[in-house]
Amino acid sequence: MMTLMLVAMVVLLLLGFPMMIPLIVAALIGFYMMFDGFGQMNTFIQQMMGGIRPAALIAVPMFILAADIMTRGQSASRLINMVMAFIGHIKGGLAVSTATSCTLFGAVSGSTQATVVAVGSPLRPRMLKAGYKDSFTLALIINASDIAFLIPPSIGMIIYGVISGTSIGELFIAGIGPGLLILAMFSAYCIAYAIINKVPTEPKASWKERLTAVQQALWPLGFPVIIVGGIYGGVFSPTEAAAACVLYAVVLEFIVFRSLKLMDIYRIAKSTGLITAVVFILVAVGNGFSWIISFAQIPQAILGGLGINEAGPTGVLIAIAVAFFIACMFVDPIVVILVLTPIFAPAIAGTGLDPVLVGVLITLMVAIGSATPPFGCDIFTAIAIFKRPYWEVIRGTPPFVLMLVLAAALIIIFPQIALFLRDLAFR
Amino acid sequence: MKDDLPAAHRSALPGLLGIVDTAISKTEAVILALGVLLMALNTIANVVGRFVFGESLFFAEEINRILIVMITFAGIGYAARHGRHIRMSALYDALPVEVRRYLMITIAFFTSAVMFFLCWFAIGYIQSVHGTGRVLPALSIPVYLMYLWVPLGFIVTGVQYFMTGVKNILSRDVYLSTHVLDGYEDSEQEV
Amino acid sequence: ACGGDKDTETASATAGAAGQNWRYAHEEFEGDVQDVFAQKFREYIEANSPHTVQVFRFGELGESDDIMEQTQAGILQFVNQSPGFTGSLIPEAQIFFIPYLLPVEDEQIVEFFRSSVAINEMFTELYAEQGLELLTMYPEGEMVVTADTPVRSPEDFRGKNIRTMTNPLLAETYRAFGATPTPLAWGEVYGGLQTNIIQGQENPIFWIQSGGLYEVSPNLIFTGHGQFTTAMMANQAFFNGLSAEDQQLVRDATAHAFDYITEYVPGLGDRMLEKILEASDQVTVTRLTAEERQAFMDRAPQVEARFIEMTGERGAALLEQFKADLEAVVGE
Ligand code: NA
Ligand code: NA
Repeated sequence: MMTLMLVAMVVLLLLGFPMMIPLIVAALIGFYMMFDGFGQMNTFIQQMMGGIRPAALIAVPMFILAADIMTRGQSASRLINMVMAFIGHIKGGLAVSTATSCTLFGAVSGSTQATVVAVGSPLRPRMLKAGYKDSFTLALIINASDIAFLIPPSIGMIIYGVISGTSIGELFIAGIGPGLLILAMFSAYCIAYAIINKVPTEPKASWKERLTAVQQALWPLGFPVIIVGGIYGGVFSPTEAAAACVLYAVVLEFIVFRSLKLMDIYRIAKSTGLITAVVFILVAVGNGFSWIISFAQIPQAILGGLGINEAGPTGVLIAIAVAFFIACMFVDPIVVILVLTPIFAPAIAGTGLDPVLVGVLITLMVAIGSATPPFGCDIFTAIAIFKRPYWEVIRGTPPFVLMLVLAAALIIIFPQIALFLRDLAFR
Repeated sequence: MKDDLPAAHRSALPGLLGIVDTAISKTEAVILALGVLLMALNTIANVVGRFVFGESLFFAEEINRILIVMITFAGIGYAARHGRHIRMSALYDALPVEVRRYLMITIAFFTSAVMFFLCWFAIGYIQSVHGTGRVLPALSIPVYLMYLWVPLGFIVTGVQYFMTGVKNILSRDVYLSTHVLDGYEDSEQEV
Repeated sequence: ACGGDKDTETASATAGAAGQNWRYAHEEFEGDVQDVFAQKFREYIEANSPHTVQVFRFGELGESDDIMEQTQAGILQFVNQSPGFTGSLIPEAQIFFIPYLLPVEDEQIVEFFRSSVAINEMFTELYAEQGLELLTMYPEGEMVVTADTPVRSPEDFRGKNIRTMTNPLLAETYRAFGATPTPLAWGEVYGGLQTNIIQGQENPIFWIQSGGLYEVSPNLIFTGHGQFTTAMMANQAFFNGLSAEDQQLVRDATAHAFDYITEYVPGLGDRMLEKILEASDQVTVTRLTAEERQAFMDRAPQVEARFIEMTGERGAALLEQFKADLEAVVGE
């Protein structure tokens, strides 16, 4: 049954069917074989509804909406200008500030695709003008946006937390260490790349220009304050912080900056609704798909066959890393977390691994996989937004993927990279 | 997220059908936008209620549950109309135009059939939930009402894909939806 | 892997064949009370018949309402759902949220569940209307409140946001107690306590231990206001289709698990409290005196009124029978 489901999925996916179809058809095959016909298909619909029920999912449309308002208005570019004013003149500074901007924006949006759009759109032209190759620029934007997944808030972590029953607050704080580690690795690579390829620098900004840039960014700096301060100050739950960001973005762009008109909110909300729908329909059918997998006890069969339960903590972590990495090269990261997390749950519980460490590793692997050829979804986001051919978008990615895999290995070997801040805050 | 959707969508269908189609499209758009804004408002109101009035809105979570079903199932039809469903097009893009057109006809009709198939079971599911009399605990609204969007969304999406299939049979170009031409300049946007 | 599953599926459709595979889902994690109950049930069935039982834990087949619907649809044969969650299906089941209605003393509560007419007759009918054969109800332990400060009176609750499930009657209880009921998804409870969005919550002690809630909400208050009650049932069409022999087998297995769990739960509470006190020296334990309890009990009628408002005459009759059953147990 599993083989038939997998073959159907891969074939339909490769042929370019809308991504919900491979998931639905695989589930239909499962239901048909399990129940000798379609008599129990009501349960598939029930599980689709169950997939979009968790309250924490509300954060997704809220952050997309906030990010969209910021990008169409001035908040996003003001934040970028501020970062540029300080490190634009350093060798590789523009590239480093692009990576840093992705991290900053990631702190606000929580979504890698939103970060590709929001940071990539204004910064890519500036990098091309400064003399960086397009393949390097695209690869940097795509991969640096992975950090958005690790720095709180993170949609991936919210979903993992909901399914696995892990504290979302702990996951958030544990993501910061690995996020900064990757930022440091990318920055080092950017500087080396700029030196080797003799990329010219921007003129150094004067302190007066820097002051102006900071002043310009004062209001938008309220976003990280709302999220971090609001959540840790006991004002908001993560979901509510997302809605508060929307309110703040509306106030900034419509009243303070007057960069958007009232009718724009209708168009932006419509676009957010559309993006939410195409993602959530996959969350829904992904849940129906994982139900039949779970009901047929397929994960137990596969894991029993591979002997993962006997592999020990490190073995389980490596198995998780590989499985999530490979799966995300093919399927939407949210769907991957939804489908695979319950499958590994017994092995995680059996080895006594810290679910927060597992969550951070899963989040990282999901982020890497979604930026990795052949099928990472960030690549297609970039293809669609920047309108560049497939090959050019992926050509520069291998060094970045290598660095990310190295980061994953470091987290497995030194769990304290992730757990240090968590233990400091919660233990 | 940057590309704006067309402000108004005029139907590719003739006469009365076209008017109905345009009306459905506009309704979907309004539902999407209102759904998202209401969700933001509802969530913020809960925070305000808790802090200013010392009383949480008990129904806030249930309202968001209703809205998310509404947004998702109004949105899938709208996404089909604008050729915006997420797909993995690497291999597909490498194929010659004529092959792509035949493939798109297959994709459209097959997807359409799957949507109608699911619509049938969605109706069955609603009937069974209706039969149990289950209600949302805080709002005391019957649960099945919240799911009425589901079969509607499947029907609208199924019809859209069916029309896309017809359009590709009639045309020499390849269309992602009834009015979105395949190709990078007009491409669908992955999200 | 699935060829075999399909065969057993067909076998269970033609009841009476040698060995059937029964599916049983509950709402808790591995090793929790409902899981222990399910495993005891499974052991008995598998030791005394050719049948097998597959146990599904929380989330494996969906949430509480999902597994209930799947049981009603006949995909699952057995389900364990707490009446608190059943409230959306059977409003009367919310009676277990009325404070100080059930005794919290161990012997009394077991005797109550064994002898109660309300539970063994009236609830059986309510479940039967939904196509469910109620096999047993059993207590999982006293509800314990945790908060940022010790609480001894309704005045101490003032201004505290206490997390409750999205349930109007439970909310009414905490409102009556003087607190501000605050609905929050369970995934956000630990973080909410940590960051002080909420100042307290209620759960049986084994959840407070396994969820680490005492780390962020260290003051345990034994108010004695409620027992976390749960119900185990079968799909009625499936149950009626069983041979008389198998029906008796199921009832015996249920009784076997019930006997085990009523021994297990009281000790569990003490063990978990011990573990908590070992793990943290910030934890305080407050047990209300009879006098202090009375201040909370005096506020129960407000909740009873709300219950009757929600459930009408049937609810009122049920409440009356509950009180009569309780009288019989406590009076002895
Ligand atoms: Na983030
Ligand atoms: Na990414």
